[in-house]
Amino acid sequence: MDSLAPHTEVRVAVAQCFRTLSTSAEPEDIISSLQTLHSFLDEGPESRSTPDQRAEFSRAHFTRTLQFLLSNIQADWLLGLSAAQRTDLWDGLFLRGPPEQALLVLMEGISELKASTSLDLLISITERFLLSGRLAALLWSSCLQTAPSDSPQLRETLLARIVALPDLTANRLHLKNKPCFCPQQYFTLLASEMLTALERTCQALKDGTDCSLIFVAQTLGKVCVQGHSGPVFAVMAPRLSVCTRSDMVWQRVCWKLLQNVPQRWMESVLTGLVQAVRGPDAFGRIVGNLVLTNKKAQYVVTHKLLLLQYKYETQVLRTVLGYLAADRERRPLLLQVLRALSQAWANPSAVRHTPLEQQLYVSKALLLSVNLLRDAELQELRSELLQCMLGGMQSHLDSSVVRIRHMGMVVGECLSARMDLNNTKLKFEYDQDEETLELLSLMTPISGEEPEEEPENGVTSPQETSEKTPSTQNASCQNKSQSDPGSDLDSDDEFSPYDMSADQEMTKESPRYLRDCLETLISSEDSVRVELSLRVAEALVRKNVFAAREISVQLTKVLLHTEDKYSIRGFLSLRQTTMVALTVTDCIPVTQYLTTEFYSMNYGLRQRLDILEVLALAAQELSKPISEERSPSVGVSSCTDLTLYPGDNPVHWRQVVERRIQSKTKRLTKGATQPPAKATPNRYAPVAGHFFFPLLSNYDKPQVTFDLLGGDHLVLGRLIHTLGLFMHLAVNAPVAAQMGRALLDFVWAVRYHVDQMVRRGVLFAVCSVFLSMPSQNLLVDLNEQLFETRTWLADVAEGDPDEDCRNLAIQSLVLLDKSLKKQLQDQQALGMET
Amino acid sequence: MSRAAPSPIFTLRGAGAPLNTLHFSCHGGDTPLLFSGSGKGAIHMWNLNTRRAETVAEGHSGNSVVWVNTLQGTDTLISQGRDMRVCLWDLSEGRTAVLDSLWTGSVGFCQCSLLEMSTGTHLLAFAGQQTEEIKIVELPSKTPVCTLIPDAKLGMVMCIKLWQPDSGPGPLLLAGYEDGSLLLWDVTQRAQLSQTKAHPEPVMCLTFDPQCLRGVSGSSEKDLCSWRLDGQNNLQLQDSVPLVNPGVSQLCVRGDGKLLASAGWDHRVRIFGWKKLRPLAVLQYHTDLVLSVAFSDHQDPRQRLLAAGSKDQRISLWSIFNEGADTG
Repeated sequence: MDSLAPHTEVRVAVAQCFRTLSTSAEPEDIISSLQTLHSFLDEGPESRSTPDQRAEFSRAHFTRTLQFLLSNIQADWLLGLSAAQRTDLWDGLFLRGPPEQALLVLMEGISELKASTSLDLLISITERFLLSGRLAALLWSSCLQTAPSDSPQLRETLLARIVALPDLTANRLHLKNKPCFCPQQYFTLLASEMLTALERTCQALKDGTDCSLIFVAQTLGKVCVQGHSGPVFAVMAPRLSVCTRSDMVWQRVCWKLLQNVPQRWMESVLTGLVQAVRGPDAFGRIVGNLVLTNKKAQYVVTHKLLLLQYKYETQVLRTVLGYLAADRERRPLLLQVLRALSQAWANPSAVRHTPLEQQLYVSKALLLSVNLLRDAELQELRSELLQCMLGGMQSHLDSSVVRIRHMGMVVGECLSARMDLNNTKLKFEYDQDEETLELLSLMTPISGEEPEEEPENGVTSPQETSEKTPSTQNASCQNKSQSDPGSDLDSDDEFSPYDMSADQEMTKESPRYLRDCLETLISSEDSVRVELSLRVAEALVRKNVFAAREISVQLTKVLLHTEDKYSIRGFLSLRQTTMVALTVTDCIPVTQYLTTEFYSMNYGLRQRLDILEVLALAAQELSKPISEERSPSVGVSSCTDLTLYPGDNPVHWRQVVERRIQSKTKRLTKGATQPPAKATPNRYAPVAGHFFFPLLSNYDKPQVTFDLLGGDHLVLGRLIHTLGLFMHLAVNAPVAAQMGRALLDFVWAVRYHVDQMVRRGVLFAVCSVFLSMPSQNLLVDLNEQLFETRTWLADVAEGDPDEDCRNLAIQSLVLLDKSLKKQLQDQQALGMET
Repeated sequence: MSRAAPSPIFTLRGAGAPLNTLHFSCHGGDTPLLFSGSGKGAIHMWNLNTRRAETVAEGHSGNSVVWVNTLQGTDTLISQGRDMRVCLWDLSEGRTAVLDSLWTGSVGFCQCSLLEMSTGTHLLAFAGQQTEEIKIVELPSKTPVCTLIPDAKLGMVMCIKLWQPDSGPGPLLLAGYEDGSLLLWDVTQRAQLSQTKAHPEPVMCLTFDPQCLRGVSGSSEKDLCSWRLDGQNNLQLQDSVPLVNPGVSQLCVRGDGKLLASAGWDHRVRIFGWKKLRPLAVLQYHTDLVLSVAFSDHQDPRQRLLAAGSKDQRISLWSIFNEGADTG
């Protein structure tokens, strides 16, 4: 009976209040009944209610009360209250009772009400609810309930409401949303409220009270899985990192928190955290040995972050691997990871079929983890690593993509250096670029603690040094000026010298006749004469066209076989420009010669690539309109000294492709707006066939030294690209339709070639066919092929591992569609007219 | 920051042949003139105001003119050609007539050297018929003064410079020989005063500044060699100045003794400070060997010009380091 008494008392009192509020019009009655309701929430000595009554009210009547208030939100008595009374009595009920119930009622109210003053009222209450720290109270109260008393459904709903609050308010309020409900602000607030709850938990644990972190962990997990880990951990990670530095209780709380995160949300929490913390130590302090106890966490850290995903910064890799290496119990995992990484790196199929970025990521991870190994562990793994290194380097060096080759070289160098193979080291020659430097830098461990600890004195030091340096300079200047006058009065100092940097050594006199050049190149052993001949040859070819025609094929032959015996600066480009000049000057015989030689025996890959490049450049030059003041020798040779030989430069290749695509895109969209160029005869159109068809004739006849469809796919890729270029340059030429048909037939066989350079070439060629072929020919001649081509292109655009290939495929699809559309419209228009 | 190398202020074209020698005559009141001797025997008289060749004189029957000069105070031009003759020209009142000529017998390229003794009389030194022979005659009388032949075999005479020291009684003569030796002769005593081996290769050119008793000589190699005379008329070698490219055709010191110019086989004219031989500028314009350089004798130092004649048949004129002239 005793226990029943407070229940009934409270129920009677609450019912009384409800009745008064629904029926009475007297303000005094209203106020007094609201105050009665308040009295059940008041704590402290002057409270009119007993703790039993308060607990009963909170348990059974608070939600009901709030719902009642909401349902009477339009009642006259509410409007009758003064603003101060309303804030105190009406709003106060929401802000002082159990926060989880209040939040649920508020969210329910917000989602039910339409835009009105009542909604505004609720919104302002919710705003105050958030700003007055009620969320922290909510979380903290959940921590105190060691055993969950309420139903799982209720918890689930509450969790959903907490996490979805920004969405709910945004849906309801649209543009009138309050700033504190915006995700960025709200989740920052939520994060700091979670920190508050954790802090209270720490305090409570120190005082000997048990707490449960299940609800906080669930909140954290749900927030992260919905994609808000960024703002949350931006607040939480630095604070946790600092707190766990010295405080064991904090560490235990953090470990517990992460252990309590439900499995399905573990991944997003860990990825968010690992990106936000600075350095492996902080990560280790916060996470503890979670990877050893939690399978999911282990999978995420050791597998998913390293081998499956590759979007993260290098810092994340450092954090993860450093974390694994930092603890004795976790070190076996590091070895396991290293094995997996080395297998992934060395896998030839992965080299061919995974995106380049992922390979770079794996390489970075591999280098970092090798660097973390101790010598004893290294001995244990040595044979495996060696095998991985050798196999992996082979597959990397086989690749036709320069970046992959570089990657293989750098990783090979680093691994061999680390493994200390009888004091021998691999050393490759490659150009240092950002990527290789970054990879190399991974081998030098970053020493020192996390940067957060460093005080600001780092900022002041540069100023000091900068102040110092001028003073020393001044001193030295003064010394100089002091010593000077004594030395010599009549010096030459009254004249200040001119710039004499152009004063270089002279070279010998260069030949004046093309035939002399030819003779020198054939027979001379004098390096200077050979060099001079090479340097003037192009200018001589262009200067005297008739003389050049007499010996064009002969000189081309000699140049094709000339080797850089004397390490002449810019040899390759000199030879190339001369051959281009010869091809342009005496087009048909030279192209005939070069295209025949392309398929003949006993040439190196380099020479075959040279042939293709010369033909491509010559075709480009021919297709350009002749301008009066054109001086090709100056234009070409002046830049040759500076630029690398194009074939040696991987960036060049890609840039050229990209530039061409862009120029094409522009041409389609802006074609009409550009002023028509002055008409000049196209020198390329009449001879396009001579460039094009001989190269198509023999590709499928493998020879002893040259197998185009087999191992020599580097040449195949370049060949197809060159053919595509010929096609592109032949736009508006009568022969374009035939060329396009032949080219499509040719590339069809190699469209799924395993080498990405070949695939790029194929797609480029297809692009240029669509660009250059007249649209009616496209439709009539290629009728049956077009459908299949479309399917293939769509397939590539979706599934090719190489990004360039995908882009090119999309480009071709767009071009094809435009071309077809234009043609169909034209036909319709014709049909209408007739 | 150092300034960009200057460009010529103008060029003279149309000589149609390599320009072996240049000589300014800007001293007189009327138009400033530049004389040039070409490889085809023509002597051009360029008017520096109109920048055109005013007169062209042909007197060496098509043989290369290796040296031109003017006799001070008279309108007389003196020229030396590869036809082994030295001609004296009367230029007064627009005439171009050969007054007199002198047979030298030298087949070499050695340029003559002229020294004014007193008003109207000059000494002319030239290479003689024999290999090492230097002859000196008095002009205009053509009286032989002396013949100087060294004791040792030194090869051909390559270049000579006749000058009058302030202290000594008679004129002295500096001569460079084919084996790279430099000799100092006393003309009145007909005695060899000093000898030094300045270059491993033939001495191609030399110039001497009587004010500070210093000189510099060039050769076919990569170094300029500087030397000085001490009180006892001994030749002392000083430091050499490295050049970027080998070969110097001619050297010339500016009248105020501040600049030295060199005509290089590398198509470039180099300017040095004369005191310390500090390189000051490299003038690039010509496309073939520069054969001669000359500083003008303008009375106003700001108008002074530097002329360079080249095998590419052009003369370039430069105005360089004239701004600081009046301060120094």
